[in-house]
Amino acid sequence: MTAPARPAPWLALRELPPPLVRRAAGVVTVLLVLVVWALLTRGATAESRAISPTVLPSPFEVLRSFPVLLTERNLVGSIAASMQRVLLGFGLAAIIAVPLGIAAGSYRLVDAASQPISVFMRNVPVAALIPLTLQAFGVGELQKVMFLFLATAPFLFHEVARAVALVDDRYVDTAQTLGARPRQIVSKVLIALAAPSIYGALRANFGMAFGYVMLAEVVDARAGLGFLLLQSQRRGLPEHLLATLLVIGLLAWLIDQTFRFFGRGFFPYLKAGE
Amino acid sequence: MSDAGGVPRKALDSPGVPGALAAPRPMLALPAPDIVHFAGVSKTYEDGYTAIHDVSFTVEDTPNHMEIIGVLGPSGCGKSTVLRLIAGLTPQHPATTGVVEVMGRPVTGPGPDRGFVFQDYTSFDNRTVADNIAFGLECSGVPNEERTALAREWISKVGLNVDRDANKYPHQLSGGMRQRVALARTLILKPRVILMDEPFGALDPRTRFAMQDLLVTLCREVEATCFLVTHSIEEAVHVSDRLYIFSSAPGTILKEMKIPPSARAAHLRQREPEFIETVFEVRDLIETLDVSTKAGD
Ligand SMILES: Nc1ncnc2c1ncn2[C@@H]1O[C@H](COP(=O)(O)OP(=O)(O)O)[C@@H](O)[C@H]1O
Ligand SMILES: [Mg+2]
Repeated sequence: MTAPARPAPWLALRELPPPLVRRAAGVVTVLLVLVVWALLTRGATAESRAISPTVLPSPFEVLRSFPVLLTERNLVGSIAASMQRVLLGFGLAAIIAVPLGIAAGSYRLVDAASQPISVFMRNVPVAALIPLTLQAFGVGELQKVMFLFLATAPFLFHEVARAVALVDDRYVDTAQTLGARPRQIVSKVLIALAAPSIYGALRANFGMAFGYVMLAEVVDARAGLGFLLLQSQRRGLPEHLLATLLVIGLLAWLIDQTFRFFGRGFFPYLKAGE
Repeated sequence: MSDAGGVPRKALDSPGVPGALAAPRPMLALPAPDIVHFAGVSKTYEDGYTAIHDVSFTVEDTPNHMEIIGVLGPSGCGKSTVLRLIAGLTPQHPATTGVVEVMGRPVTGPGPDRGFVFQDYTSFDNRTVADNIAFGLECSGVPNEERTALAREWISKVGLNVDRDANKYPHQLSGGMRQRVALARTLILKPRVILMDEPFGALDPRTRFAMQDLLVTLCREVEATCFLVTHSIEEAVHVSDRLYIFSSAPGTILKEMKIPPSARAAHLRQREPEFIETVFEVRDLIETLDVSTKAGD
């Protein structure tokens, strides 16, 4: 009898495996999903498949649909259209909500004044804003931009205000005893110390806006990723639908990684790069 | 105990510039105003809790002798409250009753003439060591080059290495180094009064000794009157010229004590029999005061 082989320490409860193992674990999971997906959609004819191709096309069919999406369905143009709406709607929200949030985080009176509207706006279901914006702004681009603005600005405002308000009083005390005036405290202490959290709020809400744009585009749009999804469904092209979904997921991830990359550059003083 | 009553406060319309107050005014032979003066100061917080009651003391201006005042007392007796009242920081400022004067004028709010070193690390995480130290100069509009040069000077004065540490961020520093930065950041502004609220409470004993000696040297150099709140009787006896001993809640100053000066380094002096004797004297005093206040209840 030999002594039982000792298991790798990172198999133990709450132990962190090495980075390579963690990455490999992720890859294995994806491969597993692909294999199961391929098996379930295997078969020459629709009848011989475990799952009908109208419900779930095979991974190969999805892969083969990309060239068609690019050449015939204007995938790149759709991405551009969606991104433009997100950038405009979210940009507007950022321009307005960030300064207001900073003001509310710095001055209790502004915070108190903003509370009722802020709470109300954050509790209106996002989908309910669609009829409202259609009513007010018609069916064009303006409606989509305003929808994104209304859907993200209240949350951005709230999170920025909270980030600024959470800057510990001891930093304000310190700055005051070093001779900082109120304006300087706002710019050199409150904004400066809240900046990583403000950036985090921008990052999270940009992701939200990118999700919401699909919602706006399934209602009367002539371009965009949401429009592409809806058209694929209407035309009975489930492989296009899935391919577009993959693109959306990938795009969302890319956007987030871009934010992360720049965040590291903006805030070199943070211990972790997150 | 208190020497508040009697002597009328000197009316002195000093120039509004902090730090300019200590300059003698040869034309008028007025005596210099007291550095810090408390008369019958009480503080009751919003929740109705009275933290300090009828605190009176005076720190006179004695030329060429910059005092370090040790403040001892049990937790929660109002030591921080007193320091923050001198600094003019809310919610301690304003006092509920009584007079709080610094350099002969009532305290109306915080200012760079009264530096504060907190126990918690308060380095600005987004600024390098040099930029942290230059913060106050930046706020008062000192040009970049000038304040960088001054900051570098102060980096070495507090025992940090200019080349190695100037561009570090606070998260790269040890607790002792952070408190050195905090000291430099305050002292660079040449405050008349320096308030320190358990600044070395979180440091290991060796670092603590080094910081105590640094503190004494630098307070003399900038000619500032220092208040040092501490839990360590040894620390208080070592650095102080004078001790204030507070009673427990509601706090009031029970005893004032002069400590004979010594030029020895902390780790050497704190082994001397005389020093140890003084420490025991203070300890006994605190115990008797404790007993007598409890008996008086
Ligand atoms: N902002 C505040 N509101 C209410 N009570 C306070 C406040 N700050 C301090 N206190 C109370 O006042 C007492 C004295 O506090 P403090 O001056 O911090 O004591 P010390 O520094 O001697 O430990 C404590 O009991 C504390 O709980
Ligand atoms: Mg305290």
